[in-house]
Amino acid sequence: MPIKRRSRRIKQLFPYLLVAPAVLYLLTITLYPGVYAIAQSFHAVKFGPWSFVGLENYAELFSDYQFWGALWNTFLMGSISLSIQFFIALTLAYFAYRDVWIKGWRIIFLMPMLFMPSAVAFIYKLAFQDARVISDLLMKVGLIDSNLAIQSSIWMSRSLLIVADVWQWTPFLFIIFVAGLQSQDEEIEEAARLDGAKWHQIFWNISLPLLKPVILVALVLRGIDITTMFTNVFIVTKGGPAFGTETISYFIYRTGFKFFNFGYASAASVIMLILTLIVAQLVVKRAFVSGRE
Amino acid sequence: MNEKTSTLIVRYLILGSWAIFCLLPILWFVSIAIRPRVEIITPTPIYFPTFSLEAWKMVWNDWPMLNYLRNSVVSIFGSVVIDLVLAIPAAYALARFNFRGRDDIAFYILSTRMMAPAIVAVPIFFLFKNLGLLDSVWALMLVYAAINLSIVTWIIRSYMLDVPKELEDAARTDGAGDFRILFEIIIPAVLPGIITASVIALIFAINEFLFTLLIASTPRAYTMSVALANFTGGSDGVIYNAIAVVSLVAFIPVFLVVLLIQNHLSRGLTMGAVKG
Repeated sequence: MPIKRRSRRIKQLFPYLLVAPAVLYLLTITLYPGVYAIAQSFHAVKFGPWSFVGLENYAELFSDYQFWGALWNTFLMGSISLSIQFFIALTLAYFAYRDVWIKGWRIIFLMPMLFMPSAVAFIYKLAFQDARVISDLLMKVGLIDSNLAIQSSIWMSRSLLIVADVWQWTPFLFIIFVAGLQSQDEEIEEAARLDGAKWHQIFWNISLPLLKPVILVALVLRGIDITTMFTNVFIVTKGGPAFGTETISYFIYRTGFKFFNFGYASAASVIMLILTLIVAQLVVKRAFVSGRE
Repeated sequence: MNEKTSTLIVRYLILGSWAIFCLLPILWFVSIAIRPRVEIITPTPIYFPTFSLEAWKMVWNDWPMLNYLRNSVVSIFGSVVIDLVLAIPAAYALARFNFRGRDDIAFYILSTRMMAPAIVAVPIFFLFKNLGLLDSVWALMLVYAAINLSIVTWIIRSYMLDVPKELEDAARTDGAGDFRILFEIIIPAVLPGIITASVIALIFAINEFLFTLLIASTPRAYTMSVALANFTGGSDGVIYNAIAVVSLVAFIPVFLVVLLIQNHLSRGLTMGAVKG
């Protein structure tokens, strides 16, 4: 009898044993850094030992216009970029999803996504800034008279980052929307068509509402990646001009690894962590968990 | 011209112009890779350059490209192996067993995907510094594995949920245990999912930038992605044709593996949430 009880015990524990290695690994890489960052955020840390400063880092952070600027830039560039990508991807998906011929050429639409982000950053740095290709093309069609001073204009620098992001990542939304639309039952569309409904009516009234959960998942994933934008900022603009393109990731990198103000950088990380947790609970859970049960 | 042809024309016009918008920067970058350096930054851009393999020779002779490539390959493949070893049992438990806290554990794993690298960058840097692992491919391997573990687990879990229970029940009545069912029935059935997860993990690892930048601070541990950012030859400025060469060389394997899993790509990218 005791043997049987023990084996039941093991049976109950079995699934926990299966997930334990993965969970422990993730805890080391999230919980440990999280606790470390919280602890460090209450200290002044330069090169030597930590010295306790209480909430000083946070007080300084809340009155730091560069920190608020970085939050604002991240939100601004992210929401503009995401809206453009969403609009283009949905339009393209609308035209492509029932087209057999396009299916064979789909890979062309995906190609930008397959370049390393650092490579894409260099492509756009060269095209906009160093080789002035964009200025040259705009002059050729007569829109401007002389080279654009992109590096000294906040909005042109922001546009550069947005264009690069749209170019590289619209395919991400596109392929997901197409897959979502294609997995819908073709017979419903056919029935509506037989009733005399036009293609765009079918799309707006039947296909699009059915696509909502897919749209939510895709936008959540893309939105998260946009708010962590770092590579392009690091390579192309370094946050300039006048901190106009500095994202929150770049702000943390700069205070931590350029100015070695680690306590301060950790305080910013903690704020970002709290924002992430809120978003995860409110949006991500809805997109991934409840929608599927 | 009837309505059908005109909608077809509009459709191909729109899709075609987007395809051109996708391709032109790539073609132009290819032209950068095969031109001499003097023709890159000029008073007016040169669109049809003289052909030259200068950059290819420079990349091959002046930089330890094979080292960078080896660092990339070792750290990325190692990380994918770690991920599979950890993720397959975890996904099996999450897909096939009922236990308390299952959904919370699944969501916790997912939520690590939402963590911005910048949040944990400072602590991770010190963690590896204290372990004496800075500047090593081992640290990169461990970080890539951590970044991708959530994705790999969720993708494989999603494929496991699709395996019909009957297959398993039949084996169970034959007396097979949990492990035999996992290895002989579940894993073969979800092989496409395992491959998809590996490819997605591979792409994200190649693309990873911030951690690699912090951990690989000297050429000893450079990967392709970070080596690129350092192709700025000091007073020489950015050596664009060399960058173009390396970018294109790194693009080819990614392109090939994505061709392989084309039909699973959207499912992989959404961590299993969108099938099709």
